[in-house]
Amino acid sequence: MRAALRLAVTLGLVAFATRAEAIPAFARKYGMSCTACHLAWPILNQQGQAFRDAGYQFGTEKDEPTTVAPAYWPVAMRTTPAYQYTRTTNQESEAGPITIGSGGLPAGPAADLLTAGTIARDISFLLVAAGFAPPDEPASLESAFVRLSNLGGSSWANFKIGKFEVDLPASPHRGVSMTSGYAIYAPRQGSAVPLDLSANQVGVEFDGHDAGSVTRYAISLVSANDDPGGKGPWSSPLIYAHAQRSFETGSEVLPWVRLGLLGSIGWLPTTFQTLGGENISGTGGDYKTYSRLGGEVTGQIGNPASPLQWQVAYMYGQESAEVTPGEAKATFSGGWLELDWVPVSRNDYNATPYLVFARYDMVRQGAGPGDFDGLTLGVRRYLAVGPRASAAVHLEVSSGTSKGTAYNGSNVQTTAAMAGIDFAF
Amino acid sequence: MNPTRLLASLAALVLALSTTTATAEPPQPAAAARGAKAYGRYCVSCHGTQGDGRGPSAEWLDPRPRNFTSGTFKFRSTVSGELPTDADLERTIEHGLNHTSMPHWRALTAVERRDLVQFVKTFSTRFATEPQGKPIAVPPAPKVTPALLAQGKEVWTKVQCASCHGDGGKGDGASATTLRDDWGQPIVPRDFTSGPLKVGDRPEDLYRAFMTGLNGSPMPSFAESISPDEAWALVVYVRSLRKD
Repeated sequence: MRAALRLAVTLGLVAFATRAEAIPAFARKYGMSCTACHLAWPILNQQGQAFRDAGYQFGTEKDEPTTVAPAYWPVAMRTTPAYQYTRTTNQESEAGPITIGSGGLPAGPAADLLTAGTIARDISFLLVAAGFAPPDEPASLESAFVRLSNLGGSSWANFKIGKFEVDLPASPHRGVSMTSGYAIYAPRQGSAVPLDLSANQVGVEFDGHDAGSVTRYAISLVSANDDPGGKGPWSSPLIYAHAQRSFETGSEVLPWVRLGLLGSIGWLPTTFQTLGGENISGTGGDYKTYSRLGGEVTGQIGNPASPLQWQVAYMYGQESAEVTPGEAKATFSGGWLELDWVPVSRNDYNATPYLVFARYDMVRQGAGPGDFDGLTLGVRRYLAVGPRASAAVHLEVSSGTSKGTAYNGSNVQTTAAMAGIDFAF
Repeated sequence: MNPTRLLASLAALVLALSTTTATAEPPQPAAAARGAKAYGRYCVSCHGTQGDGRGPSAEWLDPRPRNFTSGTFKFRSTVSGELPTDADLERTIEHGLNHTSMPHWRALTAVERRDLVQFVKTFSTRFATEPQGKPIAVPPAPKVTPALLAQGKEVWTKVQCASCHGDGGKGDGASATTLRDDWGQPIVPRDFTSGPLKVGDRPEDLYRAFMTGLNGSPMPSFAESISPDEAWALVVYVRSLRKD
């Protein structure tokens, strides 16, 4: 069972496309290019971060629905029809360990429907329905939240409730890679702790920021995803906090740097009332703790309009004894180095036609198998389709090795290559 | 031509040229080159690649994006008709303009904003040939008193603000529906009863608008017709019209 779990997690790290958010409805509402708010969509830049932090508002009396044309409808869609080939080693079979290689286009490419914006000043929302890939993947609500901004007239006090992504050093939903995720966000190999930071969480968030989001913070209280159903006033609580501060250096070489710190602590129920051998949700008790602590440094080299943006992130995780039955206290650590390079920016309606990206992921277990190393490389060619929609040709390869996680104790290497069109309207 | 008049004309030309070259502040090439990259990323969809305010989104925006090619800018600290200062342009980029689709760009680095200013200046030859204006003096705001408020109302009547802005300041004066800007676009007088000015919500923003006018719009400068004290009185009166 544990071996199967390890394998599933390993494959999850490297093989499944990460759906991402980019909302061209905002570009249509404000008449701006995607590049105004995205380093290269879907990666937010500082302007996009400030807009998001402000509750999808610029604050120029042009945010409310009553100030835009009645025909405007805040809905966007995204789909990425693509060919993908995946190769995985050391799979169990009656003939012994085998390598599986398989490729193709999904019969029904997945799609996201996104709607977001303000319904009145300081009241905003986001709803993302994802899936729509029949017959085997039903649509689901990936995000659904309401946010009250500028409580008491202060940008330092905002409140969000619903299902949302906690404030991460790098957003997997707005990341550019489609064949690999941020490995350290995933559950620890073999752990019973279900927390996957890549997944959206259900709960509440307080956050705040200054003008331009130079300094910003977010504190979330959520029931960690795949909450088994603990008893008490808040089931399987997870408190997560992240703060960032940006610095302008005035340098032409390294004009902008941002530092971030994060920490979280969660409580997972480990004993349940049962019925027919099955746990009864809502009865979980004997809570055990688990935690994350980390930080990141992000910077830009060169002109911020066409930079080489880099990010180094590190996270340390700890799980107390018996969170996973039969296990002693467990630790793990890891992080990534990501490079996102916009080689060209020009005075043109397709101002930034290229993005080259690369990421190295690493996870190290305190004990046991599951050390992971992964590398992702890709390029996107943005097509000139104007400020109301966007499309990009996306080419990517990734490879990851998970040590000792195969059924026979050997390594599992998964390699993926994809080529497709990322389409957003 | 009379030799005396010819010499006088040449002398006047030399003086004019020397004045122009001495005080014009043409765009800085290196900064403008950097700014061109930022302009493509952030600005072209509204202001267009030629800076003529004809980007692909322009037709759907109200008010229309600024046409940079004429060097005419509404929101300045300089005397009516003059070019804005670099700081004026940077302030607009940094803070945006209320009631328009021009957002704030505070999240850009200060260097980026200054580079954008230099690139925007390349769209109009005026910046290469004319001196940019100097900021007008804004005296300290006086204490608000009933007498000052009454004086402000007198100034309101004296300079005929109501003809455009209406008796109650709602922007519904007799000529309000007939106004057009320098590009022939209909323009609506500010409704002083609701919301901030486009350029900001501080008293000095209003003072500056009265004493510099808004180039390219029917809003004139009153610097020649009212004193600084009267301008501050008018500021007090106009701010008293605010109902929200």
